[in-house]
Amino acid sequence: MTLKSTKRKTLFAREDLVNRLLSIAKRQGRSLYSLVNEIFELVIRAEDLGVNIQTAFEERWILKNAQKDGFILVPEGLWYEMAEIAYQNSKDEALKKWFEAGVWLAKRYIEVETEEPFEAFKRSLKAYNWNMVEIMINEEDQKISIRIISPRMPETYANLYSTFVEGALNTFGYKIAKKEVSFGNIRIEAVGKES
Amino acid sequence: MISKSKKLVYVSESLINEAIEAARRDGKSIGSFIEESLKLALSARRTGYNLKEASDLLKVIHANRTLGGAYIPMDILNHLIKVAYKKKPKKIREKWYESGMLHGKYLKEKFEDPIRAFKTFLEAARWDLNEVEVQKDGDTIKFRCFSTILTEEGTDMLLKYVEGVFHGIGYKTIRNDHMKGMIILEFKH
Repeated sequence: MTLKSTKRKTLFAREDLVNRLLSIAKRQGRSLYSLVNEIFELVIRAEDLGVNIQTAFEERWILKNAQKDGFILVPEGLWYEMAEIAYQNSKDEALKKWFEAGVWLAKRYIEVETEEPFEAFKRSLKAYNWNMVEIMINEEDQKISIRIISPRMPETYANLYSTFVEGALNTFGYKIAKKEVSFGNIRIEAVGKES
Repeated sequence: MISKSKKLVYVSESLINEAIEAARRDGKSIGSFIEESLKLALSARRTGYNLKEASDLLKVIHANRTLGGAYIPMDILNHLIKVAYKKKPKKIREKWYESGMLHGKYLKEKFEDPIRAFKTFLEAARWDLNEVEVQKDGDTIKFRCFSTILTEEGTDMLLKYVEGVFHGIGYKTIRNDHMKGMIILEFKH
């Protein structure tokens, strides 16, 4: 952004924040003035785009996390199309692949996020499904209820994705008690295997 | 403990006027808008990327949301490509190309430098690519990408997608060379 005016205004900000910015500016060999202006430019640019900058940082987290989880960003329409072909031509193999992917992801969380693996899994599942209109995961006692809704989700894809979730839940120690899958809609209820 | 003391900093007037307007739109005071902005900038530093990268990424993510980008496990993607490629190779290659065209046209409309934006997108979203290189020389563009894990079918799909993107931006292919895990393309405006 080109500065239209070189006039300056004075602002008050919290001392601890300013002190930390001062040390960053010093480390980078630049003035506090240029650093503060850069920050404002970024926030204003985000606002102009209609994007919340806090959300943008969270999405950076999603990208990094997706990489660790082995997820890749692909246009939704493309993989719906390919999922349809795979499902129609080798249904059992497709279902097995999705189930295994769910098992793999859950195992990764159990191994890596040792404190609250299911919470971490839930957070990622919600984050990766930004294309779904609604994704709700409720956990109560030994019961889990999942609802995923997207008017664009074909039935074949809903079937495959529900199998992925099933694989993950199974690995987390739950068995499926009820499953409803239709165009644009997945509902799964699961209970702890030990309950 | 959070300090309650205040310090005085100088900011260019044009930025402050825009910040006042943005704060007003958000229903916040200018003071809280500024503090939030500073906190976010510090948080970005802690996560190890600079504001320029954050800004580029911001635009790319925004574009991806608009274009319907969504996450899928890499293994599943490979499986889907393999089956779809085997059963309906022509149709699926066309789909990837069309998707690239749409992406390219959107980038051309929305970004001052659509090629740079596309490179940022590939680097951020396609971690399966070890290297993405785009060289501009006058009205010619040389695109190269390398991956040690991309499958043969995956390479072909990505190639069609990349060609679609550049054609959508307004370039024509003048060289097409690829093999498993490697794409070398040249385009002319």
